[in-house]
Amino acid sequence: MIQAASIDTVMRTLADPTRRAVFERIVRSDEITVVELTRGSGVTQSAVSQHLRSLKQAGLIVDRAQGRNVFYSAEPKGLAPLFDWMSHYAVFWRDRFAGLETLLKEIDP
Amino acid sequence: MTAAALKSDTKEIVVERVFAHAPEKVWKALTTAELMGRWLRMPNKGFAPVKGNRFTYQTTPAGAWDGVIHCEVLDVRPNERLVYSWKGGDASNVGYGAPLNTVVTFTLAKVEGGTRLSLVHSGFVLPTNETAFKGMGDGWQKVVPSIGEIAGEQH
Repeated sequence: MIQAASIDTVMRTLADPTRRAVFERIVRSDEITVVELTRGSGVTQSAVSQHLRSLKQAGLIVDRAQGRNVFYSAEPKGLAPLFDWMSHYAVFWRDRFAGLETLLKEIDP
Repeated sequence: MTAAALKSDTKEIVVERVFAHAPEKVWKALTTAELMGRWLRMPNKGFAPVKGNRFTYQTTPAGAWDGVIHCEVLDVRPNERLVYSWKGGDASNVGYGAPLNTVVTFTLAKVEGGTRLSLVHSGFVLPTNETAFKGMGDGWQKVVPSIGEIAGEQH
């Protein structure tokens, strides 16, 4: 299955601390270039580029070229394989309880 | 944290809230098919508040799973307690859509100013280390820092 393969890929990709740091910075930015990512990272630009390639292959980030720049941004769907039923229902029930409150006000004003 | 220690572990979700309505009203919302559909925001087929009753919910499909949740009423005590099983999923899925064999318990208690409703959704079997992913319920961005620990443990 595609999903089973990708949970492994996602895990493997994020196991590297430097790559994870790069990913976290992308997550915190709207869009960011390789130059900005390299600044203050303590690694070379080519190392950062390498990590960007891996992150892109794992579906965790997307890029957008504009002129001579490439902008990277996080792809929330990339982490989807890590979502499990339990996190799904934790959100589901909290949300539905709010809906129940609204419904009760309607049927029992 | 070892894989063996977590293998047969099951977890539960607990949500509690006091509603400013009498238990009878809350019970009505929990056990009237049409009202259930409205607050749960998914239709059910065949629900009746009778022990042994089987019914289904239709939710979002995933892969080989048709999105049908199969339920059986396990316990009914009017205005106090409703328990039903909640099963679905397919072995070919990982994450959302994976096999699910759980139980949902609603408990109502009359309190000052209304009803305390407690929901326990139990029986989640978590894959190794999955516990750490629970934080994702609060948004995927928050969980990113913890992925490192988890991913690291796999090596």
